[in-house]
Formats: sequence, structure tokens, C-alpha cells
Amino acid sequence: MAQCVQSVQEFIQDSFVPLVAALCSEEAERLTRRNNLSFAELVRPFCRLTSEVHMRDPNNQLHIIKNLKIAVNNIITHPPQPGAIRKLLHDVVSVSQPAEGLVANVITAGDYDLNISATTPWFESYRECFLQSMPASDHEFLNHYVACMLVVSSSEPDPVEQFLKLSQEQHRIQHSNEYSYPKWFIPNTLKYYVLLHDVSTGEEQRADSIYEEMKQRYGTQGCYLLKINSRVSNRGADEQIPDPWSQYLQKNTIQNQDSYEDYTVSNKNTDHLISDGTDTEIKDGLSNNFKTHPLQLDHPSGSLDSTDYMKASTSLQDSKKSNSGTPHGACLTLTDHDRIRQFIQEFTFRGLLPHIEKTIRQLNDQLISRKGLSRSLFFATKKWFSGSKVPEKSINELKNTSGLLYPPEAPELQIRKMADLCFLVQHYELAYSCYHTAKKDFLNDQAMLYAAGALEMAAVSAFLQPGAPRPYPAHYMETAIQTYRDICKNMVLAERCVLLSAEILKSQSKYSEAAALLIRLTSEDSDLRSALLLEQAAHCFINMKSPMVRKFAFHMILAGHRFSKAGQKKHALRCYCQAMQVYKGKGWSLAEDHINFTIGRQSFTLRQLDNAVSAFRHILINDSKQPPAQQGAFLREYLYVYKNATQLSPDGPLPQLPLPYINSSATRVFFGHDRRPAEGEKQAATHVSLDQEYDSESSQQWKELEEQIVAVINKGTVPSNFQPTQFCLNRYSDNSKFPLAVIEEPITVEVSFRNPLKVPLLLTDLSLLWKFQPKDFSAKHDGETKEQGTCDEDMVGTEAIAEFLINSEETKVARLKLFPHQTGELHILGVVYNLGSVQGAVSLDGIDPSIGLQTGKFVSNGLSVRGRQDLEIQGPRLNNTKEEKTSIKYGPDRRLDPIITEEMPLLEVFFINFPTGLLCGEIRKAYVEFVNVSKCPLTALKVVSKHPEFFTFGGNTAALTPLSPSASENCSAYKTVVTDPTSVRTALLSSASSADFGVGMGGSPEVIQVPLPDAVLLPGASVQLPMWLRGPDEEGVHEINFLFYYESIKKHSKMCHRVLRHTAVICTSRSLHVRATVCRSNALGDEEGRGDNMLLFVDVENINTSETGVKEFHIVQVSSNSKHWKLQKSINISGDKDTKLASRERAKLCFKAVRCKNSEENYTFADIVFGNEQIISSASPCADFFFQSLSSEFKRTQVQSHAHASQRAMKQSFDETVRLIQRCSEVDLNIVVLWKAYVVEDSKQLILEGQHHVALNTVGKEAFSFPQKQELPETVLLKFFRPENTPVPARPTPEQLSNLIKTSLHYPESFNHSFHQKSLCLVPVTLLLSNCSQAVVDVMIDLRHKPTSSEALEIHGSFTWLGQTQYKLQLKGQEVYSLQLKACFVHTGVYNLGTPRVFAKLVDQVTLFETSQQNSMPALIIINNI
Amino acid sequence: MSGSFYFVIVGHHDNPIFEMEFLPPGKVESKDDHRHLNQFIAHAALDLVDENMWLSNLFCDVLFSLITVHMRFIMLHDVRQEDGIKNFFTDVYELYIKFAMNPFYELNTPIRSTAFERKVQFLGKKHLLS
Repeated sequence: MAQCVQSVQEFIQDSFVPLVAALCSEEAERLTRRNNLSFAELVRPFCRLTSEVHMRDPNNQLHIIKNLKIAVNNIITHPPQPGAIRKLLHDVVSVSQPAEGLVANVITAGDYDLNISATTPWFESYRECFLQSMPASDHEFLNHYVACMLVVSSSEPDPVEQFLKLSQEQHRIQHSNEYSYPKWFIPNTLKYYVLLHDVSTGEEQRADSIYEEMKQRYGTQGCYLLKINSRVSNRGADEQIPDPWSQYLQKNTIQNQDSYEDYTVSNKNTDHLISDGTDTEIKDGLSNNFKTHPLQLDHPSGSLDSTDYMKASTSLQDSKKSNSGTPHGACLTLTDHDRIRQFIQEFTFRGLLPHIEKTIRQLNDQLISRKGLSRSLFFATKKWFSGSKVPEKSINELKNTSGLLYPPEAPELQIRKMADLCFLVQHYELAYSCYHTAKKDFLNDQAMLYAAGALEMAAVSAFLQPGAPRPYPAHYMETAIQTYRDICKNMVLAERCVLLSAEILKSQSKYSEAAALLIRLTSEDSDLRSALLLEQAAHCFINMKSPMVRKFAFHMILAGHRFSKAGQKKHALRCYCQAMQVYKGKGWSLAEDHINFTIGRQSFTLRQLDNAVSAFRHILINDSKQPPAQQGAFLREYLYVYKNATQLSPDGPLPQLPLPYINSSATRVFFGHDRRPAEGEKQAATHVSLDQEYDSESSQQWKELEEQIVAVINKGTVPSNFQPTQFCLNRYSDNSKFPLAVIEEPITVEVSFRNPLKVPLLLTDLSLLWKFQPKDFSAKHDGETKEQGTCDEDMVGTEAIAEFLINSEETKVARLKLFPHQTGELHILGVVYNLGSVQGAVSLDGIDPSIGLQTGKFVSNGLSVRGRQDLEIQGPRLNNTKEEKTSIKYGPDRRLDPIITEEMPLLEVFFINFPTGLLCGEIRKAYVEFVNVSKCPLTALKVVSKHPEFFTFGGNTAALTPLSPSASENCSAYKTVVTDPTSVRTALLSSASSADFGVGMGGSPEVIQVPLPDAVLLPGASVQLPMWLRGPDEEGVHEINFLFYYESIKKHSKMCHRVLRHTAVICTSRSLHVRATVCRSNALGDEEGRGDNMLLFVDVENINTSETGVKEFHIVQVSSNSKHWKLQKSINISGDKDTKLASRERAKLCFKAVRCKNSEENYTFADIVFGNEQIISSASPCADFFFQSLSSEFKRTQVQSHAHASQRAMKQSFDETVRLIQRCSEVDLNIVVLWKAYVVEDSKQLILEGQHHVALNTVGKEAFSFPQKQELPETVLLKFFRPENTPVPARPTPEQLSNLIKTSLHYPESFNHSFHQKSLCLVPVTLLLSNCSQAVVDVMIDLRHKPTSSEALEIHGSFTWLGQTQYKLQLKGQEVYSLQLKACFVHTGVYNLGTPRVFAKLVDQVTLFETSQQNSMPALIIINNI
Repeated sequence: MSGSFYFVIVGHHDNPIFEMEFLPPGKVESKDDHRHLNQFIAHAALDLVDENMWLSNLFCDVLFSLITVHMRFIMLHDVRQEDGIKNFFTDVYELYIKFAMNPFYELNTPIRSTAFERKVQFLGKKHLLS
């Protein structure tokens, strides 16, 4: 129960006051009417006595009455109508609203912080009004009239006569059977004669004389002369007189209304009171008999037409205003006020209290006499027979006796009468004992109504006793309430009882009992009462020592519901709002929705549209568990309310709409035009589109490529302000910088919408909302900054989507475009759209809503509101500095703030005849078309790729080499020349420089200049260029990224270059595998007498599995390119013209290579042709791919060598030696194997061409066309220490050394000698020493070598070298020296001549190396005897 | 004879973390209009739970059981079936404890596990509606 202004004692005292009737003559009434008041109203403000009053109780004890209040009412001869009372109460409650600026208390209970108004003034007003308007009942006398004032005006012709008339009238009302109402306390009611004198008009002497006459007739104590209206009306304007009536008259309306009603007397019989209660119940039962659940939602559709009520309430308000607007007491001065106060005091002191005192005394005497006779005897006998206590009978047994009635003057009622009188004059002790006695009597008589009344009052007076000698008998009240309600069916009395009891319990902090009482009295018959009581119960719960917050909320909801049923919209809204604080955000979604819905609807009917909108908004944005139909209804209602709200303020800013959700971080921004679809053979560059998923790996690749190309452009360094071009900004991209957009190129914003509802949403006229700030970047100073909130088509064109349907619980993206027409700074703020619902689509998922979408019928229900939603994207969380790490900070996200720059060229690239599948190493020719679609010439077109070996645009020599006619016939990718067959197997030579092919000049080989005819592509121009592709060596699917780079001719400050991306997907299948080895030929000298030649073995295997339909491969040509070597001829044993290889076949080719004299720059190309056409290997594309493979090979080796760089540095001096020695075994021969593949495809034979490269670096080491994959060990052990540096071999390996000096022995294989003739056989042997290195080498030859092992001794122990056995020579680089030796044999047999040991050292080195390698091979000689 | 039941698990902050309705086989769908009433009543009953926290389990019109860690199981029912509800609570408690041990489940947040839902549904059929 909420706090009240009055204390409990005050409240109860004021609830039961002595009632005084006022009967006025017409003239007197007219006098008071001048003040716009009736007589009763006139005296009302002065009815509380300011001084203490003394009176004597029956025992002659002095009793002090404090603060006594009396009530003066006009006599009304019919009881108040229940309907009228109800209306009055309704009005009282609806008028009393919480003050606007009322500061609510904050109650903290557990997790809850609640704002609750502590006071409920509407409840107090209701209570006061209710108690005042209670009809008088027969079973109690508290609201029976104790006295009657007879008021007559002095201006009447014969006032005394008038007094007599009135007195008779009063007597008639009280005693004749004509009137059952009002009730009178005792038969001889005190009559008090008041003469009313109007000072302003009446003659004072006459009044005085009449008063004198009255005094003689009625005694000084029974009459009074009241002078009023002393104020002259015309001078009242400037005098401020307080209006004490205003606060009373509001509550007084029942009297007014009743007095205006017909003066007819109801013909109800005496038991009217009882039937009255049941009447009420029946009536109310009918009206409320809707069988509705207490918290049922009203049907949504019927909700919004509550204008009737609105009108009603406004008219009510008007009437109230007119009522309170007229001033009261206009003719009264302050002296008059004092006179009235004096009059009341006089009346109470002299008239009323003595009368009451006397009556109490009389009643007491009667009681004592009766008690003495019957009662005491009765009790005594009872005591004798039944023990000490009267057994209390249970209520149920007594049910049938409720109708028992005593006649008005029955002796049983006398004690009650006395008790009531004592109570009225605040003699609570006496009252209590009387009530107690009365209670016992009534219970004995089983007069339940009377008993209940006595119980009620006994409890109250017990409570009010000063000093509280006994505890408050709450069970009395309980019984009383139960009796009133269940047995007597009198809800009004029960209610009074509950109100009193609850207030008392509250004062004793027994909140839960109070709440229980209050709740128990709620019933279906009166919504207003139930609402008020429930609200009070809720307040009880919250005021408990441990506040029951949730019960509070629940009962507030119930109260709110009842208020709304009772038509108290404002109170209902307030209750729901207070309860909402508890339910908010806890996840009781259905409950929350219900509350929000009610709040929304009540707010709407009260025209609090903003609140309504926000309440409905809550329903929609929360995760809802409502069924679709309900959601649809909510949505419609929301839209309706919103529409109303926006209509009120059409010029206001666009409202923020809650639906659909926008996943703002998923917003993507795309700059540029949409990708053009492929046209026929033309295949447009894939570029970037919004349809692509974001791939961090690939975007990183693109970024690296762009960095690479920018670095090349800027001579090796990436500028610090470099910003990689981002076409599509999303949540993964780097959005910390303002993106750049080009003027006249569209900006597409993809917004991700989600519909959380189970009903579809229809967005119409959906477009972007932006702000634009024009700036001229070339002018270097900012133009005037204009801010445009709305669309201005001159600056930025906005594309709108007419209809955008989002199905239930669907996530859908909308792509919205802007076309900037000026340079400047654009800020995309959000989206603007009409939100509407779709009619009829609520039903089932089976109905395809898209059918209707085309016809545009969805808009038909017309409910759509225009609003906006902002796109606010939070940047990534910062985590760099310590401060950022310890706090939560987010970086900016500038995705939606592009800078519009001046126009830039725009390139489009198309690929023609671009293959999708290739054999490994296959060469294919395709064309690329470059189109400049902008109005700006472009230049510096370059392309960069991670796989430059995949394609070429042809070298610089391309233009020089003549096109062969046959090449064009065969559509061969190569340039070929018909050769004459005789030249087969001898090499055809040509040469080319690597510079011609743009390779090998350092820098990055990945960046390739596109050979545009004039290096400039004019606006609208297009150029087709040939492009050769070579299938990658690895089998499988390859994604090859091309990044085309171009610049504008004009230099811009903002955007330096643009790029275009293309990803080609190539599937390669296996073709050939080439292995090659080179070894030194032992043959000395060739035809030209040169000492250096090598043998080259090429092993070709067809590893193609026949699935691609490749029938066979033909090796058509083998070419070599090297700076120092060339192929000389083919040594082919079989003599086939060309080598055919079917699947899984293998062939070995053997070639002879010789050193060629050549400059350092140029490569010598030597082609050995097997067919009849020579493919010019030094021309495009063959040479291009060769050089590219070379450079990639070079890169690979460089990476490896870098790994050892540190170790090299350590052994600098030694390194020299090693290098020199190593170089002896190095060759730089590269082989290109050109082949043709015969492919059967769709019963057509195709000839495919291709080439494989093998780079030979070391003598004797096998090289592959494609490096074998190294088998990695399955598990690599984790190492926690740094690997030790592998020590650099201190000496070159023997293998390397053996290559330093090549030795060979020349001797006859068999030698015939006649040992008979000559015992010694001398054989001449030539030892050839050839220096393979370029350096000068000291050579020592030791012939004396004696093998140590015994085995070796056996074999060649018996021959010896004659002559000089140790030589020391110096060989220049590449020198060949022949040394003549003589071997001496004594026996026939087979001898190994390979005994000489050759030591070599570089001249400037000390260390001596043995070249022992040659010894391993036996040089056998057969000596025959003839 | 079996009535309808409404079962809710309420977390520390009076937030429902799991709700389920058990309807007798005949009744297909409860009246949607009244579903929020269950929430209102269950929520208000929390005060009773708190009040009787240290008393024994109480069976009345609104039956509830107090469980450790201040998670509250509340059952609304319209027929008397004390044994069934008791068994149901015991089993659901066990189920919940197991579920709460899932390291990926943050305590006090709504349970969105279909497996849990299915199991509770099964228990409901077993103990309440049979």
C-alpha cells in the first residue's frame, strides 16, 4: 500500500464523523446560492474544530475530544444510486493523476532498481469519496444523522413560521413511513435552528429581532443567527480572498448530482439496503460477463477506434473545468468566513455534543437496566451450563441467518447505537467494550450482518484506543470481511472493511496480510475497485521488508489490466510502465511483448505517440516467440501508429525505423561498374565483383602483386603513401583510410538486411542516404563545403529499388548504387525506405510471395511508413599500443566515406581463344583485347603475375622475324621455316640476346610491359595483341592471377594508377617428362681440333595417361641455348627421323655438344630438327618461354645460394679456389625439347605443340624438365636449437677436383712383341692432360707409384715405366698437353697401365690435390708374344 | 487424465533460460493468447521461491523446486501430479547439470540446444503426460 497523506488515525477518524443534516428553506438556499454554494457546501470548509472539546462520559469521567470533525449534508430523501456512485468514483480516480514533475522513489531490491511513485493520491481520493458516498445501512448508525439544522433566511416574510414548517418537514421525513432515507440516529433528533442573514440586502434589526424571538422559543443553545454575504459584489475584484471550497467541492459532486435529480422518492421497502448490494452485483455481473481472461489481449483490429472514449473523456474534462472555473464564495468576506467557523463551533459545543452526551447517557442507562435484568442472568446461566467461553460458531453454519433483521428501535441495537456514538466522539474504550458486547449478542442471535458490523468497528476502535491496551484483533476484521462478502453479499461494506483493515495493517507493517486482504477483495463485479486494490497490493509487496519485486510487477500488471477495463487509460498505462521496469530485458519475451503492446496501445489512445512508437518498436526488435499472425498484427499496429506519429510532424526529421535489422558490419562497398558478361569467344577479365566471396589469401596476393608493380614503377621502392587498390570493401579489408572512387563511376553499397519476424516485410523506394561535400582536388583549395542531406541529382545520382521483399526470418542483401557527378567527399549515412507489411502473406510458407511481387500488389494495404536507418560501422578493435591493449578502443571504419576523385582512364580487357585446358608445356596462342572505356587516355600498361612463365606477349624480335607461311596454315604457335632434309641432325644456329625478351636485366621478371602500339590507349580505342600461353609444368588446376596496371596521362594527386584483375583458371594434364645428362666426351678434339666437347643424353618419357585422348607425342626438335655451348649433331643410332612416343613410352636421344665461341651477352641457339620444319627457337614464343624458365630457374638457385651466403663470407679466400675448381665441372647448357602431340578429339585429329626446358648446370648430374618433388619425411622432429652451421668443406670434393684436369692414356690396345727376340717389350704410351679450368694449373705426374695392396701387385707388378718418372708441368687454361711415356714389359699378359698419379694445384695455391679419379678406370693393354 | 504443464528454468537474474510447454496429446496447440500468462505467473512465483528458499519444497498450485546455484525450476500445472513432477524435476536437474558442464555453454544464458530440448520433451512425456 502506498504512503498516504493522512495518518491511519486521522484517516479513520475522518471516515466516521457525526453527520448533521441541513434542511433549508428556499429563500435560505437562494441566499447561499449567491455564492454559488449550497448551505452544506458553504459550511463544509469550516467543519473541523480547531479547539479541544470536553465532554463527560456515562461514568462522569471527563473525556477530551481532539480535532473533531462534523459533516453537514443536505437532506436527500433517496439513497444514492449505485450507478451514480460508480460514475463519481470513476471520475474521481480519472481526475487524480500523478503530478508531472513528481520525483519517484528509487527502490532497489536485488537486481532491480525501480522508479515507483510512493504516493497514490487517486487511491486516497477514491477511498475518501467511497466512504463519503456510502449509503446508510440499518445495521449500523455511524452514518445516520445525529442532528438536523433548519436554515431559514431572515428576509423571508415570516421566518418563525418557516422554522415550524421545516421542523414539521423534518419530522415527516424521519417518522413517516414515506421515506426510508435518510436514516436517523435516534427518534428525537436534535434540531438546530439557524437564521441566515444576508448583510448586503437584509435589515439587520429585523434579523436581530427574529433571532431574539427564536432564542425565546428554542433557547439560546438551540438557535443561531448567521450573517453572511457582507461583501458588496462590485468591489470584490481587487480583494484576494482565499477560496477554501475549491478543495472540497471536487469531491462533493455526488450531492450536486443528486440534488439535480428528481426529487422523487423511491418506493423501495425497508430491506432496500440489502437488496441494493445484490442489485449492484447483478448489474455489474452482466456488464462484465464477457468470459474473458483477466489478461487477455484485446483483439488487435478493434483496438484503434477508441475515439468514442476519447470524446467522452474530453467532455468530462470540460464539465470539470466549468465546474471548477466559477468562483465560490464571491460575496463572502474573511469576516464571513470567521462567522461561519464560529457558527459551526457554537453548534458543536452548544448543540451537538451536549445532545450526544445526553443520548449516550440515556442509552447507557437503558443498557444497564437491561443488563441487570436479562442479559446478566442469561450470561450467568450460560456460563453455568457451558463453561467459561461461548463456543464460536463457524461462519458456514450461520449462513442461513443472514437475513435476520431487528426493528429500528430494537433493544439489541441500542448498545450498538451507543457504541457508534462513543466512536463518533472518539471515546474508543467505551466504544470497544460496547462493540464487543454487541458482537456477542449479535453472534448469539446469529444476526450476521450486525455481527460483522460490530466486529469491524470493534477491531477499529481497539486499534484506535490510546495507548493500545490490546493488540489489533485482525481476525475480527477477517471474519467481518468474510461475512460481508460471502454471507451478506455486500461488497460495499466488505470493501470499506478491507480499506480500513488494510490501512491499519499497513501502519503496523503487516504488508503481506494487507496485500492478501486487498487481493482477496478483487472480483469481477467492479474493475475500478479491483484495479485500485491490486495496485495497493502491489505497493504492499514492494514495501515489504524484503521487497517482492516480481509479485509487485505481477499485481501491477493485473491492476493495469483492470484499469484499462475500467476505462482508466492513464492509470492503466502508468501501471504497465511501472511493471515494465521489472520485466524489461530479462527474457520473458511473451510477457514483455504483452506489456509493450498494451503500453503502446494505451499510449496511442492517449495520443502519446512517441511512447506508443517506442513500445511497439520494442516488440518488433526483440526476438519474438509470438506466432506469425500475432507478429503480423503487431507490425500492422506499429505501422499504423507510426504513420499517425509522423503525420503529426511531417516536417520533422525522418524517423529511425527498427526493422528490418541491418547487419552493418556486413556492408560491402564496391567501386566501379559491374562486370560485363562474356561476349561469344571474348572472355572479359574476371576483375572483382560483389558476387565473389572474400578470400584473404587471394586478396593478400593481389596486394603483393600491386606492391610489386608499384615498386617497379617507382624504381624499386614502394612509396610510403602507397595504398593498395581495394575494389570491394568489406569487414575484412583495410578500411582505415578513405577509399577513392572515380567520378562518373558507380558506387555500389551492399546492405545486408535481416527480417527477424515471421511475417514478410516489404521495403519500397529503398535508396541510400548520403551527405556530399564538393571539393576540387586539382585546384588545391577546398571549395565551399556544402552539406546536402537529401538527394541532389546534380552531384550524386541515387538509384532506388522500387520494391524489396524480405521473407520471414530471411537475410537478404540489397545493392544500392550512387553515381557521383562531382569531385568531393561523399558520406553514405544510411538507407531510407518505406516500411510496409505484406497483406495476406502471413498465412503459409507454401504461398510463393514472389508471384505477387511482380504485380506489385503488396503495397495494396497501404500501411507503410517512410523512415531511415543509419549505417554505422564499428571499426576494428585497436591493439597496438599499450593503452589500446588495456582499454577497448576501436579504429575508424571509412568504408562509407569515399572520396570522389577526378576522372581516370578505365581499362577493360578481353581474352579471345583463351584455353581452359592445356597439356603441360603446351604452347597456345591467344589474343588479348585492351579497351579504354573512359574519356581519358591511358598509358603505362603493364601486367604482373606470380607466374610470368605462363604467358608472353612476344619479345622485341617478334616484329623482325618473318612470319612463315606454313605457320599460319597450321595455326602453329611457332615460327617455323621449312628445312631441307639433308641438314638433319646437324644444328642450325642462330643467336639472340636475353635483353630482347625483356628478361634478365634484373628487376622483377614478374612485371611485363604490354607492348601497346603507341604506348597509349586513347579513349574508346581498343587494341588486340597476341599472347602465347604455355601450360604450367605441374599437372593440375592452376589459378593464375594477372594484374593489369595502367596510369592516366595526367597525374593526379589522389589516384596515381589503376589496376584490373584477372584470374585465369587452367587445367593442365601430364605430357612429357624430360631428363637430360651431360658428360665429358673422352674423345680428344673434334673436327676442328677443339679439345672441349660433351655428350648430351636426353631421356624423354611420355607420362601422359591416355584419358585426354593424346595418341602420341613426336619430338620434332631439340634446341640448345647457351652462352658457351651448342649442340652440334644428333647421334642417333636407330636412324629414325623423329621420335614417336605413345603412352608410357620412353626414348633416349644422344647429342654432341661443343663449345662455341661467343660473346658473353648473346645466347647461341642451336636447333636440331627431326622433322622438315625448323622451329626458330630464337624467336617468339619459343625463346620467350625459354628465357622465362631460365629466369625462374635462376631465381630458384639464387634462393638456395642465399642460404649459404653467410658461410661463404667466412671462407672468402678459400672460396676462390673452390669456385674455380667448381667451375670446371659447370656447364650452362639449356635444352629445349619441342614436341607435337597428336590428339583425337571428337573424331578429329588435332596437333598440339609444346616445349619443355631442361637446364643443365653440372657435368654428370641429371637434370629434369620439371623438378621432382622431394619426398618429405613424414614427421619432422621439432627442434628447439638452432641447427649447427654445416661446415664448409675445406677442400673441394674429389669429384670436383677430378674435373680439374682431364687425363687420358693413348696406347695400342694389343701389342705384339717377340719375347724370344728381345726380352724387353717397350710400348709407347701417350698421356694427354687437358686443363678444364680457365686458370693456370700446376700438374705433377708421378709414375713411380707402387700400389700397396698385394692384390694389385699381382696384376701389374711386372711392368715398369721407363725414362723420366716424375714430371712437373704448368698448364694454362683450357690447354691440352700430351706427354710421351714408355712402358716396359717383360712378360706377355694383360696389364693395367692406369698407374700414373696426377696431382694438380692452382698456381697461386699451396695445397696439392690429387686427381685420382682416372685411376679407377683400368687402362688395360694386352701384350702378345709372337 | 492429464493436464497441461508449463516448465521454465529461471536463471540468476530472473531471466528464463529454458521454457517448455507440455500439452496432453489431445490438445494440439495451447491458446496463443494465453501463453504470456504462464510467463507472468511463473515470474511472480519467483518471489514465493525466494521466500521459501530455505524451507522444504512446496507443492501448491504453482509448484516449484529450488535447485542449487540459484537456478530455479518452476512448473505450472493444472492437475495434481506430485510424484510425476517430482520425478521430472529430478531428471531434468540431472540433465541440466550435465548440460551446464559443457564448457561452451555460458551459465545463465538461454539454452539453445535441440538435444536438451528433446530430452526434456521426452522426460515430460514420461513423467507428466503418461
